[in-house]
Amino acid sequence: MIFKNKPLWGKKKKLKSSYDVVLIGGGLHSLATAYYLAKEHGITDIAIIEKNYIGFGGAGRNTAIVRANQRTQHNVPLYKEALDLWPVLTKELDYNLMFNNCGNLNLMHSEAAMKAARMTIATAQFHGVESHLIDAKEAKEMVPALNISENITFPIHGAMFHPPGGIVRHDAVVWGLAKGAAKKGVEIHQHTEALSIETKNNKVCSVTTSEGKINTRQVLISAGGYSAALIHDMLGIKLPISVLTIQAMVTQPLKPLLDHVVSSGAYHCYANQTLKGEIATGAHMDPWPNYTTLNTAHYIKHQAEALSEFLPCLRGVRFMRIWGGLADMTPDMAPIMDGNNQIEGFFMNCGWGYFGFKSCSAAGKYMAQFMATDQCPDIFKPFALKRYEEHRLMGETAALVNYTPDN
Amino acid sequence: MMNRFNHLPTLKIDAARKIGFIYKNKKYYGVQGDTVATALYANGIRIFARSLKYHRPRGLYSLDGECSNTCMEVDNIPNVRCENTQLKEGMVIKEQNVKGSAQNDMMSFIDKMDWMMPAGFYYNTMHKPAKIWPIAMKQIRKAAGLGTLSPDFEMPGSYDEIFPNTDVCVIGGGPSGMMAAIAAAKKDLRVILMESRPSLGGFFEYRKNFHNRSLELAKEVNALENIRVFTHTSMVGAYNNNLITGFQIGKPSDVFDQRYIEIRAKSVVVATGCIERPLIFDHNEKPGVMQIGCALRLANTYGLLPGKKAVFSIGHDLGLEAALELHNLGLKIELIADIREDGQDPALLQKIEEKNIPLLKGWVACRANGRKQVKSVEVSGIDGLISKTIACDLIVASAGMTPVTGPVTIALGKLKYDAHTGFFMADKLPEKMHVTGRLLGLDDPRSIETSGTLAGLQAALDCENCSIKEIGDVKKELENLPGPTRGTKLVTAPVKGRKSFICFDEDTTIKNIKQAIEKGFDVPELIKRFTSAGTGPGQGGIPGHNLPLYVAKYQALPDISIKPTTTRPPLVPTLLSTYAGTNHIMLKTTPMDKMQREDGGIFRNIGVWQRARYFSGDFTCEKEIKNIRSNVGMLDASTLGKFRIHGPDALKALQRVFVSDMSKVQHGRMKYSAMCNDDGCVIDDGVITKLRRNDYYFTTSTGRAGQTVEWLRYHTRYDKWDFHVVNLTDAMGVINLSGPNSRKTLEKIVDIDISNEAFGFSEYKEFTIKECIPVKAMRLGFVGELSYELHVPSSYMQSVWLMLKEAGSKFNIQNFGVEAQNVLRMEKCHIILGQESEQRTNLLDVGLGFLWDRSKSDAKTIGAVALAQAESDKTRLKLVGFKMENNTRAPHDGSLIVDEKVRGYVCTARDSFSLKEAVGMALVEGPLSKIGTRLEIFEDECGDDRIYGKIVAMPFYDPEGSRMKM
Repeated sequence: MIFKNKPLWGKKKKLKSSYDVVLIGGGLHSLATAYYLAKEHGITDIAIIEKNYIGFGGAGRNTAIVRANQRTQHNVPLYKEALDLWPVLTKELDYNLMFNNCGNLNLMHSEAAMKAARMTIATAQFHGVESHLIDAKEAKEMVPALNISENITFPIHGAMFHPPGGIVRHDAVVWGLAKGAAKKGVEIHQHTEALSIETKNNKVCSVTTSEGKINTRQVLISAGGYSAALIHDMLGIKLPISVLTIQAMVTQPLKPLLDHVVSSGAYHCYANQTLKGEIATGAHMDPWPNYTTLNTAHYIKHQAEALSEFLPCLRGVRFMRIWGGLADMTPDMAPIMDGNNQIEGFFMNCGWGYFGFKSCSAAGKYMAQFMATDQCPDIFKPFALKRYEEHRLMGETAALVNYTPDN
Repeated sequence: MMNRFNHLPTLKIDAARKIGFIYKNKKYYGVQGDTVATALYANGIRIFARSLKYHRPRGLYSLDGECSNTCMEVDNIPNVRCENTQLKEGMVIKEQNVKGSAQNDMMSFIDKMDWMMPAGFYYNTMHKPAKIWPIAMKQIRKAAGLGTLSPDFEMPGSYDEIFPNTDVCVIGGGPSGMMAAIAAAKKDLRVILMESRPSLGGFFEYRKNFHNRSLELAKEVNALENIRVFTHTSMVGAYNNNLITGFQIGKPSDVFDQRYIEIRAKSVVVATGCIERPLIFDHNEKPGVMQIGCALRLANTYGLLPGKKAVFSIGHDLGLEAALELHNLGLKIELIADIREDGQDPALLQKIEEKNIPLLKGWVACRANGRKQVKSVEVSGIDGLISKTIACDLIVASAGMTPVTGPVTIALGKLKYDAHTGFFMADKLPEKMHVTGRLLGLDDPRSIETSGTLAGLQAALDCENCSIKEIGDVKKELENLPGPTRGTKLVTAPVKGRKSFICFDEDTTIKNIKQAIEKGFDVPELIKRFTSAGTGPGQGGIPGHNLPLYVAKYQALPDISIKPTTTRPPLVPTLLSTYAGTNHIMLKTTPMDKMQREDGGIFRNIGVWQRARYFSGDFTCEKEIKNIRSNVGMLDASTLGKFRIHGPDALKALQRVFVSDMSKVQHGRMKYSAMCNDDGCVIDDGVITKLRRNDYYFTTSTGRAGQTVEWLRYHTRYDKWDFHVVNLTDAMGVINLSGPNSRKTLEKIVDIDISNEAFGFSEYKEFTIKECIPVKAMRLGFVGELSYELHVPSSYMQSVWLMLKEAGSKFNIQNFGVEAQNVLRMEKCHIILGQESEQRTNLLDVGLGFLWDRSKSDAKTIGAVALAQAESDKTRLKLVGFKMENNTRAPHDGSLIVDEKVRGYVCTARDSFSLKEAVGMALVEGPLSKIGTRLEIFEDECGDDRIYGKIVAMPFYDPEGSRMKM
């Protein structure tokens, strides 16, 4: 076995004065867009502009869970395609993305939750995605560590079992896509900050960066949690996005204990075991908008309280590390993917909240198609910004959510 | 068992008191004061564990838990760091992550396969062909992980939590920390002093010449009543505004095993001192290699001579001091290799010469030899030109000191490389945080103590209890004392690095770091992710500051601008049981909780409440439903939101949030209305009445009650209106008395006329029962029958409940629960928000458009703009009622309405006992919402089978509403 140690995503190059396409943000959606632009559309004169290093943001901070059991008919096909792409990308990129197809178990703690799960399951099945409603006993057989007794705060009624989901090594996806894109000629400029986008007659003409000005006809902002602020500051487009810090943490490594991803809405908690053996767990966001990625004391405590109840054996395990990332939340928990709409040549892909990881491949693929053809793919149409003007929220969550600073 | 020293003043053990424990199924003895690791060491155990990846033997290294070398299973709890876990009688200790034993691990062959496993090798292997990955993954999972946890493991012990407030929180109970605490306490401030070891003393405690001073300081600390000392307490987190978290390990006399501590401090002093910077050379983690502090504490604290023949490879005067102390205790020292060419303390050098201990300056250990334990060491000049091999069983190795900056960086302090000390030092400190002592590079004991006093006074200044002059005086004093010592610059011994470990926990070598950098992973954060260095149970204690130093060196950076990777809390691995603490159940109960449980109520959590959902094991609630339709029943509706709004501008506020014209709300009558959000989505519905002029009473749904006051405040925030909202939800209980016999029941306990003429449908009345219980009564019809909603002060709820029960006994009055109510109201097509509405539906979509008053001019109504804009959109979801074709069973709630696409879904559907057919409500796309439309229903697990329904007019039950008006 021979391993050559050459730079995975190309040697450092000097920024040119013009590119066909500029992608702002060195995260997964941007890298995937670049990869598919190069691979499927032959557009290779691309610069990815990243302020830090690739995978600095959400790409490296998520808990790597993938699934396609969303609520509405608009989302399911997109996530299904993303799910189907993991093995394909592993092969294409010749990089082991370590897809652990362990299936997801989403616990339900009330009759109302069971009803909601049934709708989600029916939606999945209608679209050919495997997903089943199981009772508490069956859940316990799959996850012996589960506490299905009545005397916990939220007794377990049953679960939504989604076999096609699982965990993918998130860093591998970043590096694999970077490798694949770079191989086809895409330039990745790390430690380069995009400062402004210049337009002329409502058309994109250039991007100014900390390393110089780039002339370009097309630019995509796909910078995760920072997108909404960038889009507003650079182009004055206001998005209904609130940015919140979401935290995740891992325990010390254990021998195999959890064979599935386990999550619970009522406890605001999910847990899965990484290949290294750590129990990775995370949950809901701190409800105040901020860009800090700071940890909060109550969060890790809450997580311990929740896990103590529904996976009580974990009381004997130690938390090792907690970190924060940004979730750019829209009012309907669905992303905003739009282009050529507000400004010709300007595209955006943001508002993914905490679902950006599992969708990156498919979103990148169709964004590439969008940019290459200047035609919005059908699958993207429901995700346009104008849905908010029309008061047509997407219903990705049944509940009404409000993440603004005021409530 | 090894002999213990028993004459040393520094000892923390009582060699006379034996403690028995089980190790690998055999009984062993340690002594009082031992940690698990020192007890094992005393019994000749040198190999404690095997490493994660290569299964290399691992032994005692730092004694402070900076790596997983001594992680073992203790009393079935995995990954316990034995080196800082106190030994207890009867403990059962097991090895983990070994096939065979730690001594003879059958997996140790992997150590020879390292050439196959360069940094990130996983990413390039095992995916071709694709089908081998799942098989390989299974093996990886089995091989990974350290300890084993049984899925039915029950954690023993009791866990507490406290949340103290203090003026000054001092982290670290060494000399500078104690001085800081004393200085602040003498300024009449409340002080908390946290020390991770079981006793105060820190860097002074285990050193012969400083031990007495540490006792003096501890005595002074303990004498000050305003210092609260938490020993055996690790600081684990620091958050905004000086919120410090940690956990304490209980003494046998404490009521807790561990307790979580969350401290709010006005000012924080970080006095965490230094650990030793690991010396990187070949096989630098082999059992028999240990740090200076470890060797010295084994002897001075635990009475154990760490080895027989030792070679020291050090870069700090502490190494020379330790060599002398250990030499005097009987350790044969073959050689001291000091990285430093010069700069040693002349007094120490002279003593070493007097004792005839060979010393080579500018030399360093470059390879530890021996299969499982150290047999000899190869030392060389730091340039690697000359070398020699010396037989020994102990290598005391340390590159120098490195400050424990974790508490500073997790509090968002910034670090900067300091060329003089070679430290990453706190550069920008967070507000009201101070660092002191060895963190500043100080080594001289007087300087350390004085800097402690200075930090204590600075913290006092933060609390406005100290003068600037006083601080100036101490500063001057400190300036006249010796400053920071020059640190060594050596990062690694002159080695190729294939077996030189920079991170022990993850088996990351220098070679791996080089490979990562060559692949383009050129900053520590990326290297950490790519090689896993610093992500193990030791929380990066070993690679911490070595990684950025090495990366800078390897890339030949002109200055060390590279920073260590971000430190993450918890700084010390913390048990989930400790974080969880006492774990209270926070759900609310109504005044009727106990009585309903006695009546056989089956409870469910609904929002923040616990409510009786059923009153029998028949979850279709047939009996409960039929009883309401034909007789009389009682429901505890106390969870409803209840509010009083009063003041001159109360009406304006109501107009703002409710969609109806609230000026039409009358005294003595109930009005039903709804609130929308800015998208026109219904967020709440309820009834309202006017109590008197400028004074209203209204209800909200259970789920919204918590947000209602804020909703009103927020949406009137610029208006300066004069009104007040009082949340009466918990102060008032609600009994819903329903059924054709409810009037006859209620009549018996009230003195007023409640005939249909005197108290008609939709009317409101206030009266007192037994001349003392005030009741607000409303005639509503949520379940579609004659019905009274009685709002009663919570304290009287049980009395009224019992009176009604007695009054209704003639009719055999029954309880009914939330599910029966759900079916009853569904038959009546009264919606429940969240059940028949969602994010995609607005007021018009769910059929409540009649509530919206467009003529309101007085106030801008929330949601009105959106409603007007969406009104013409015919494709939106609409709420419809349906019956099943051929009178078949009702579909499951949540089933889809489909054609070739998803068109909607079933909200609630039941086989109705009242109507003797299956009915339900569904949300469907506008074009499908006409009466008579056939609905194709897709249920989960239905495969190709479909069932069909037909849209019918709503409501299903008693469309004229005569029953609720009777």
